[in-house]
Amino acid sequence: MEWDWDFAWSIMPTLLAGFRITLIATALGAVVAAVLGLVFAILRRSANRAVARTTGFVVEFIRGTPLLVQLYFIFYVLPDLGLRLPALTAGVIGMGLHYATYAAEVYRGGIEGVPRGQWEAAKATNLTTRQTWLHVVLPQAVPPMIPAMANYLLAMFKETPLLSAITVLELMNQAKSVANSSYRYVEPMTLVGVMFLVVSLISVVALRWLERRYGRISR
Amino acid sequence: MDQPIIRIQNLRKSFGTLTVIDGLNFDVMKGEKLALIGPSGSGKTTILRILMTLEDISGGRIEVCGEPLYHMQRNGAEVPADEAHLHRMRRHIGMVFQHFNLFPHKSVLQNITLAPMLTKGEARAAADRRARDLLDMVGLADKADYMPSQLSGGQKQRVAIARALALQPQIMLFDEVTSALDPELVEEVLEVMKRLAAETDMTMLLVTHEMGFARDFADRVLFFDKGRIVEQGPPAQLFTAPQEDRTKSFLRKIIAAGQRV
Repeated sequence: MEWDWDFAWSIMPTLLAGFRITLIATALGAVVAAVLGLVFAILRRSANRAVARTTGFVVEFIRGTPLLVQLYFIFYVLPDLGLRLPALTAGVIGMGLHYATYAAEVYRGGIEGVPRGQWEAAKATNLTTRQTWLHVVLPQAVPPMIPAMANYLLAMFKETPLLSAITVLELMNQAKSVANSSYRYVEPMTLVGVMFLVVSLISVVALRWLERRYGRISR
Repeated sequence: MDQPIIRIQNLRKSFGTLTVIDGLNFDVMKGEKLALIGPSGSGKTTILRILMTLEDISGGRIEVCGEPLYHMQRNGAEVPADEAHLHRMRRHIGMVFQHFNLFPHKSVLQNITLAPMLTKGEARAAADRRARDLLDMVGLADKADYMPSQLSGGQKQRVAIARALALQPQIMLFDEVTSALDPELVEEVLEVMKRLAAETDMTMLLVTHEMGFARDFADRVLFFDKGRIVEQGPPAQLFTAPQEDRTKSFLRKIIAAGQRV
């Protein structure tokens, strides 16, 4: 087993094309997760018990089943029910939905982390509900959420190779096809690892910074 | 004769099966300084919270500044108040809390100017100017740009008083405002309140365990037990010549605990 630099260079364009898809899938998945997560969190807080309970059940169901199974379901089973999605769309929806359940917990924790006294002070100073959310609750709820959210973003990024199972041409899938046609695994798999590692290391540094910046709020 | 500024009629409040206020009646005249005393769990804090609309009522009726607080007119009939009505009524009332509840992400000055700018549309310059005047009054003119976390408990509570005053309410509610303070910080807060009582004609309701202060501060003292008024009167009378046994035993316990009455 020998490292072949020429081969490594020759497969770089293919891998980078895959890496681009990986980043796009992560970014889109994150947007879906952030938006859906907020929806879940708000529905779970709903005064309507039926809505809150149903949302709770859906969230627990999604969180309690493996992402890979969900991806298969969305991509291979839904077409039988008449809904055929492109691979990347199915992947983004699957990952976004899965991580939305985690994001919902983070939102919930952040909002409940704002003491009741803050809501009461807002009321006593006669702020409207909207002003209370905008000027009192969210500015205190969001900063502590940032490190946890960034953590899930990184976790999701590292789970994108699962999308190769539903034919998304992301980094892992490209590496596999290169390996399968050339019978060389060392270079493609090493490069995949390195690309993930580089992004992860940068992210860890960024995370540390975020935690220092937003991790705690003094009262 | 003046109309009372607060009128509480047959007020009831229960939390689940626990009844904390049961058929309470009393009036507060404009400008009156009222002290509410009594053992913990006697419902005195709940009354302030109800007046600030932080709790719902279970029954009865309250009027503030001549208007029902928890009811409103619709098509000639009186119906439960909606959020818009409560919001409109809240501008009459301000409150200072036991645990200050300053906004930790805002500076001292912003804590005071936030509500006037948002709820009254005051311009920043005007709001700033008045906030600085109020800080001057509570003795914290040099702390305008501090964050709440940089202040002592007594300083936080004085900022909280300034924040409530900035909205110029007609009625101020003080809920055990010195209970969370270290003993050496109590005096600076009481000092501010004494000055406030002397210099303004605001109506003030005070829930306190500081009997000595209640005596100096109040025009009238209400002694509560189990959600009812057991006895009331001017402080000189209630503290020196209480009529009811429960009042007497309560005051004895307070004195035994070492407080000046």
